[in-house]
Amino acid sequence: MIADAAAKLGIDVPVYCYHEALGPLGACRMCLVQVEKMPKLATACTTAVSEGMVVHTRGPAVDKGRKGVLEFLLINHPLDCPVCDKGGECFLQDYTFQYGPPAGRFEEPKIQKVKDGPINEFILVDQERCVLCQRCVRFMGEYVGEPQLLLEGRGVETVVTTVDHEPATSQFSGNVIDLCPVGALLSVPYHHKARPWNIEREESVCTLCPVGCTTLATGRDGHIVRIEGRPVPDRSWGWLCDRGRFGFDFAVNPSRLITSYLEGREEAAARTTRQVGQWLRDAVSQHGGNSVAFVAGGLHSTEEAYQLNRFAREVVGTERLAVSRDVPGYLPRGLNGTFADIDDADAVVLIGTDPYESVPVVHLRLRDRARALPSLKLMGVAPRSLSRETLRVDTLVTHVGQEAAVLAAALSDAARGHAVLAELVSNGLGDLSGIDGEALAELGSTLVNSEHLTVLWDGLEADVEPVLVALQSVRGDKPTRVLPTWGPSNWRGFERAGFDARIESLTGILEDARDGKLQMLVLWGADLLREYPDQELVRQAYARVPVLVAESLFPPAGHESFKAILPQAGPGEVYGTYVNMEARLQVAMPSVQPPGQARPTKTYVTAWARAMEKPFVLQEDWDPYDDNSGDLVPEESVPREVRPIAPASSAPDGYELITGVLVIENGIPSDFLKPRVPQYPGRISPSDADRLGIRNQAVIKLSREGREMTAAVAVDPAMTPGRIYMPLGLADAPVNALGTGAVNVTVIEEVHSA
Amino acid sequence: MLEGLKAIAKGMGTTLKALSAPRDTYPYPEKRREYSPRFRGKHMLGKDEEGHELCVGCGLCEAVCPAHAIRVVAAEAPADKPVSWTNRYSIDYEVDLIRCIFCGMCEEACPTNAVRLTPFNELAAYDRESMIADKQELLHPAIRK
Repeated sequence: MIADAAAKLGIDVPVYCYHEALGPLGACRMCLVQVEKMPKLATACTTAVSEGMVVHTRGPAVDKGRKGVLEFLLINHPLDCPVCDKGGECFLQDYTFQYGPPAGRFEEPKIQKVKDGPINEFILVDQERCVLCQRCVRFMGEYVGEPQLLLEGRGVETVVTTVDHEPATSQFSGNVIDLCPVGALLSVPYHHKARPWNIEREESVCTLCPVGCTTLATGRDGHIVRIEGRPVPDRSWGWLCDRGRFGFDFAVNPSRLITSYLEGREEAAARTTRQVGQWLRDAVSQHGGNSVAFVAGGLHSTEEAYQLNRFAREVVGTERLAVSRDVPGYLPRGLNGTFADIDDADAVVLIGTDPYESVPVVHLRLRDRARALPSLKLMGVAPRSLSRETLRVDTLVTHVGQEAAVLAAALSDAARGHAVLAELVSNGLGDLSGIDGEALAELGSTLVNSEHLTVLWDGLEADVEPVLVALQSVRGDKPTRVLPTWGPSNWRGFERAGFDARIESLTGILEDARDGKLQMLVLWGADLLREYPDQELVRQAYARVPVLVAESLFPPAGHESFKAILPQAGPGEVYGTYVNMEARLQVAMPSVQPPGQARPTKTYVTAWARAMEKPFVLQEDWDPYDDNSGDLVPEESVPREVRPIAPASSAPDGYELITGVLVIENGIPSDFLKPRVPQYPGRISPSDADRLGIRNQAVIKLSREGREMTAAVAVDPAMTPGRIYMPLGLADAPVNALGTGAVNVTVIEEVHSA
Repeated sequence: MLEGLKAIAKGMGTTLKALSAPRDTYPYPEKRREYSPRFRGKHMLGKDEEGHELCVGCGLCEAVCPAHAIRVVAAEAPADKPVSWTNRYSIDYEVDLIRCIFCGMCEEACPTNAVRLTPFNELAAYDRESMIADKQELLHPAIRK
């Protein structure tokens, strides 16, 4: 298109409706250019360039055309720029100044439409200001595949509104605010908050899920008031999910820790820090460095993890370092792919993970690929169907704990006789009855024969790792890339900083703690009771460790057990590098000061080093970037050895508890997002609900071998029968209290929909 | 001798002439000088006939102010309690009169004619704090006697 060619050459062609991701439409007529040998002005966004074409982007004819278009666009525009949030960053203003007529000639009264009407909880629509470019409508309809916005009415009465005037529920709805070139779609949290000249926009990175979307954080008067998507040329369109766009208020949430707690009481930061230093000193001098363990987690940056790691190793002298993990899986760096692997893939296999829920923006990316390549093979292996309206996935529905075995079975079928496979399945495959043979064969041929295979994996089954290693060696030179979708979002960064990200080291620390081998356990942003897969072990460890210290954004679960709790400075408050699921390092600049007593890691560790009277100099001498790998964490070779997987356990008779990451409910509170967080986050299939006598929602009790948990579930027609889904890491219904697998279900209370 | 007398006479002549001449100074504050109504003194925020504030908190004055003397914080008024004539109003409006150079650009930029410079120019104060005019002060402008 001419518009793209001009943009590439740095020539400005004004556009409203055209967006490269959405394709040409030619609705706004703003991009008129003069093409030689064409009788009339042509729209740059719908005219393809060709050899020898001569285009004039300025000139009397072009200017007259654009002037006319703008005069029409402004006929019913209310010209209320002083009260419009877009004022100062509005393309209608900019282009009117650049190309528009000095005054309108229209003297009739302007048509009145809805002002500040709701699209949903986050978005306001001002239909008077709309130029009907349809970017929002097309984005929701074509790009996201959730057509919840539409144009209603004819002629001058045309307005953008939601389908049936019901609030839009898509989790990508916030992107229409960024897309809107004028002040028609506005953000509710940012409404009447600031102007482009009294804010500071800092390049930042969203840390709320492993995707690590690039953002712009708008700060005003010491608060972040807005998050926008930041497109990165040739890499990302700058889409965000609503979780990332509107969830920024966790930093000012009332439950945020901004004071220190010493033995349950509020205490001055200096005294708490000094006391913790004293404990560290005592523990090290009396029991040796290895009696202290550090667990990194939460929203810490790579630099902070590095500072903690150096402090732990050099000053404390401990080898007990781990990363907080909520799933047992681990992905070797050598297998880790990038998002470009989705764009190049001819087959994508989802193992356990539903990208829409766990890594929303990757879901958009997958959809983008599926639209560009209709023959894209999209398969899933999970205990529930992963298919959605927006993305059809052929899911091979397994039982809990069978994913690795099913993948191994498919692989050994399709690549019979390969040496590594014998090793992989040397313990047998176990009982895979009930798995459809045809689907298994199809999965196998996809895994082995596709040209470029990209796998998304949720890490819930550790045994998938050797299968992926085996898959890589079976496929040989054909790219096999894996994207891990688990948290903490910066786990690869912690690994880069020197922590061991495998769950075994965390389990080791907890077992040592339970066995009384630890004097002190320091949790750096980690909330193990909520995160670690076996809550009982954490409980025992907490009860046994003499000194339990946490540094955290929010009070950790079981905070009564902690001797000291220190407030953490969060993302957006410290400079930091974060590593996303692509193993890509991305820098986030700070926008605001940490609130209250919250301090960055460096402050704490240097204070403790002083308390321990050990020399410790933290200079800015460490750079997570590598000379050879650019902004990616350095490549490592894929391990050659394959450990045998455990045979699949047979299918249970009754119900199974399954889980997965639901990013809207990932434990970081947000007042803005409250209306979106489901009250009944659990899901049950309609047939099971029938059997249990549940009509819509219910509170049920799940139990197994004396352990039990209550779960609020809603009936979901997309659920596979026999499974009860609960999101991972809910504070009031922690899946890790019970663990996935077979459960007994009793209904406590049926709740009729209000 | 004669020269001296001549000089004294000349000097006295000038003095006497000046005694009867019209004076350039005023006995301030008993008498005050008339200023042009366009004189640019202290700011005020206007209201319309119904008592609604004219300021909508657009921040253009803040943007245009060459001395960074103005701070505006806008907010949305509750639907049943309008403050300005529209749903957006300035919850906070401050002019730092020490910084202000009285150039009148804010007045010029204001799209609603809310901020105006009055002829009031008696701005002396004992501390810096009281030289920052807040919104209430600006809404009730002092009148020059």
